Amino acid sequence: MAADRRMRLWTLVAEHAQGAPVAVGDVCRVVMSAVGVDGAAVTVVLDAGQRETVYASDALASELAELELTLGVGPGVDATAGGGAVLLADLTAQQGMARWPGFAPAAVSAGARAVFALPLQVGAIRVGVMELYRVRPGGLDGERLADALVLADAACALVLDGVRPGPPRLDGSAPEPVRLAHPEVHQATGMITVQLGVTAAVALIRLRAYAYAHERRLRDVAGDVVARRLRFDPEPTADDGDGVRSGG
Amino acid sequence: MVEVQLADVFVEMADTLVDDFDVIDFLHGLTERCVQLLGVSAAGLLLTDQRDTLQVVAASSERTRLLELFQLQTDQGPCVDCFRTGQPVSVADLRTAGRWPRFTAAAAEVGFTAVHAMPMRLRAEVIGALNLFDTTPGPIDEGKLRIAQALADVATIGLLQQRAIHRRDTLTEQLETALHSRVLIEQAKGVLAERLQLDMAEAFTLLRDTARSHNRRLADLAQAIVDGTEQVPSATAPA
Repeated sequence: MAADRRMRLWTLVAEHAQGAPVAVGDVCRVVMSAVGVDGAAVTVVLDAGQRETVYASDALASELAELELTLGVGPGVDATAGGGAVLLADLTAQQGMARWPGFAPAAVSAGARAVFALPLQVGAIRVGVMELYRVRPGGLDGERLADALVLADAACALVLDGVRPGPPRLDGSAPEPVRLAHPEVHQATGMITVQLGVTAAVALIRLRAYAYAHERRLRDVAGDVVARRLRFDPEPTADDGDGVRSGG
Repeated sequence: MVEVQLADVFVEMADTLVDDFDVIDFLHGLTERCVQLLGVSAAGLLLTDQRDTLQVVAASSERTRLLELFQLQTDQGPCVDCFRTGQPVSVADLRTAGRWPRFTAAAAEVGFTAVHAMPMRLRAEVIGALNLFDTTPGPIDEGKLRIAQALADVATIGLLQQRAIHRRDTLTEQLETALHSRVLIEQAKGVLAERLQLDMAEAFTLLRDTARSHNRRLADLAQAIVDGTEQVPSATAPA
């Protein structure tokens, strides 16, 4: 069932891209129509901790993202810190105003009444945040929440997979889920940070790239890493140019 | 004996009211209590990811094969049925029940024959399930069933940390945060397992013991280990 939702939504995203490589903007446009929000923005956290808004559907979405960057507080900041989606159905209600006395009134003045911040995050790997807004109050739950979470995951995957060297995936199949990958994927990520001496983000990128390149399921490759049948080494071996060694 | 252990559960529940409450450690302890109080072989807590599947958030054993068995129930199994219906699901002998073929086969490989699932409920909503396994087939008696449900309710309370969560929004945040913590812990397990050449269960034990002895939240310590800002000394590794 989860796979059905992912495929259904990814099909919409691919359709939006109209044959071109899928971009974060395509995911955002689908979020807006599928989930029923008026605007979306995706901010990415770069290596040195700097943030960059890689997509904003309109001026208000862009302004909200900027506001949080400037103030350093807001639903997006909280979502990234805690790791959980922060959903405010009505910013003018007591809860929103009390929680962000600096951000909430400014956001409302700018025209946003409801804000939903979905972290693009995989444990310790902070990729960024997707922020959605509505000009009228109203919450996200059930099917719409599920769609939003799956699409945020797809955006996270796009940002991660986009970084790796090699041709982008154009075959139309949905990228492997990031946040809710099989536990072994997260364990393998941890192991690879030690094997390669890299950050968790790089470790996950390498793991996903390997799976794609070898056309294997991510969880199967991760299973091999955890069972110590597969190692990621810094030096490339003679027959496997990406430095991955198989066997005992 | 049971009364003392039950009293301990209540005392531990009071811990959920303090500021630096560690929800993952609490849930993990609860699964261990389930094993002691109910005399089952293993217990696990699964939460909804709010997008169609259940995810393991804590288990009495972090042995990979066991976690696999809990995690296998993302779309098939007693926990899924329990979650969807909001009713307890109890199977005295999987071998003769003829339900959930994939799950039954996997359970058999690990030696489990009896399984029970209790719903984690928040008013009208089901947010997850408490999953119990036993190697001995047989029904679970009424008294134990009531204790099991009570423990599932304690897990819900601990997770939500307040008696009345009115808004859907806060519930979503709490659920997502718990699952995020779990991902951090899995990543940290990997780091420790590779660095110290441990298996995943040993890695978790080291993580938990270190967190407790340094008075740190499990998830916070896990984050620091993965970020590389903290090294867990090998001197504390199990023999």
